[in-house]
Amino acid sequence: MAFSWKAANISYLQYSIVCARAVRNSLKPDLRAIAQRRDEQGLKFQKWQGGKAGDSAPVEVNKPPASS
Amino acid sequence: MFSAARLLRAPVLPARVFARTYAAEASGASSGQLVLNFLLPHEVICEKEAVNQVNIASTSGDMGILADHVPTIQQLRPGVLEVIKAEGTQKWFVSGGFAIVNEDSSLNINAVEAFKLDDFSPEAIRDNLAAAQRAVSAGGSEQEVAKAKIEVEVLEALQAAVGKTA
Repeated sequence: MAFSWKAANISYLQYSIVCARAVRNSLKPDLRAIAQRRDEQGLKFQKWQGGKAGDSAPVEVNKPPASS
Repeated sequence: MFSAARLLRAPVLPARVFARTYAAEASGASSGQLVLNFLLPHEVICEKEAVNQVNIASTSGDMGILADHVPTIQQLRPGVLEVIKAEGTQKWFVSGGFAIVNEDSSLNINAVEAFKLDDFSPEAIRDNLAAAQRAVSAGGSEQEVAKAKIEVEVLEALQAAVGKTA
């Protein structure tokens, strides 16, 4: 059971994120609010062309950036 | 007859060869004192703290670590980590990570999240577990089901740990 997630092509990093999230979501409400801030991840994608920045778009986790 | 008896006797080595203990193997520069470093990415819980014993839940089983333990690296399961000090025992629930036992009787625990058992809400655990179990039976992509199964495993361990103290 312990490593069944490997069969579904889930990496250890993804596994540990899922575990940490489940733990955070089970805290008492006041602690949960503080802990859940650690779960937020952000990445923006912006294409530069000719010295000018294009539109910036947030990148969703596990999805490749939209090609422009 | 004679040779058969010899063959049977031959592989039996003196008992003292097997009498080595784990503690005896790591007899480097030991002070006879277990030193704990317990670190999270966002917090240092303790650094170079002298403790008597640490009980961990690893993927290869539950283990108690004392001073002079044989050096090893263990992957932590989502489960309870018990730190036994002279003044009392502390219990933490860790979401996962690694425990590294070094040759000098120092123990490094690296975990993603760790909280005292009192910090958890039994109602939230119950609700999250029910939601995760629904997600497993609802199906979906292989990854979604696998992630829901991981959650069920974590929450069941959490429920068992928190239920014991309540």
